[in-house]
Amino acid sequence: MKKVSIFLGLACLLVSCESTNYVPAVTSQMATARKGQQVDLAMLREGRRLLVHRCIECHTLPLLWRYRTEDWPGIVDSMSHRSSLKPAEREAIVAYILAVRFAGH
Amino acid sequence: MKPTLRIVIFVGAFLPVLPSFGGARHFTFLYEANTSAPGSLELENWVTWRHAAEPGRFDQVDFRHELEYGITDKFQASIYLADWFYRSDPEHSGFTYSDTAIELICNLTNPVVDPVGLSIYGELRAGNRLIELESKVISQKNFGPLILAYNATLESVWEGSGLAEREGEFSQALGASYEISPRVSAGIELLHEFVFPEWRDRAKIRNFFVGPNVSYRHRNWFVTITALAQATDTQDEPDFQLRTIFGIGL
Repeated sequence: MKKVSIFLGLACLLVSCESTNYVPAVTSQMATARKGQQVDLAMLREGRRLLVHRCIECHTLPLLWRYRTEDWPGIVDSMSHRSSLKPAEREAIVAYILAVRFAGH
Repeated sequence: MKPTLRIVIFVGAFLPVLPSFGGARHFTFLYEANTSAPGSLELENWVTWRHAAEPGRFDQVDFRHELEYGITDKFQASIYLADWFYRSDPEHSGFTYSDTAIELICNLTNPVVDPVGLSIYGELRAGNRLIELESKVISQKNFGPLILAYNATLESVWEGSGLAEREGEFSQALGASYEISPRVSAGIELLHEFVFPEWRDRAKIRNFFVGPNVSYRHRNWFVTITALAQATDTQDEPDFQLRTIFGIGL
């Protein structure tokens, strides 16, 4: 019984960690989430792909609502050189993060 | 022209135009599933101190100098420019060049968005009367700030005069690393080895090591340290191992 409890406890811990691992798939809602701005869906998909490939080379992914909207471009920019991000790729990552936030995920 | 000089000229010619960093390691006895960004180049220096107490006392410090290059988003190549070591035991002590190697890693799935991140790894090592082939399956899953990784490795070694001595080894390694802050991680690594001299399991050699790790990264460099203690009682194997990897983007 004790072993089962430990296993369940660990499973709950991992599930709770997984819930913070939130990199939602791109939806059409995200493209229009920011009022007055239409974002290209292909750009958002590329931003998500780059986020989950390049950023984890050095660190785990933070919660996307951990930092303020206006801080994200500077945060991504500060690490873009070491992760070999071209300007368009950097923009795609920022666009994806902001789209997730504005879409309320 | 000597091969070593050719390598130095090649590296020297390309370093200034290559942009950045291959990525930070959270473990030293395990590999992670993600590969370096395309076009990134990194120099990694490995230092591993192995210590065994009496009987069969020895101290050995292994050095490795590795250049890692991202070819595509999911494929990277590395050259171990030189593996060499200093060994001290009751009979002798001194430096020895061991080998040079190439390593290729291909990423198959992502540890964040896929159920499990998977990569396959191949390595060919050649030295003075030494040929070694190593293949590895690397798995990893990220749970928020927690990284879990598992490696299964199969090695074949031919060495000695006429490469007549053969040995095989299967090892598995399990690691966990928790990101305390964006710059600092700490965790644990476990290493379980099955050694097959002459590709036979008569000697039933099993080694088990366990210990903590810590990693620090900043700008274009990182350093990761793991200390492992042997939990089994195998002679000729180190009682204690301390490995440091220092990486810097070029």
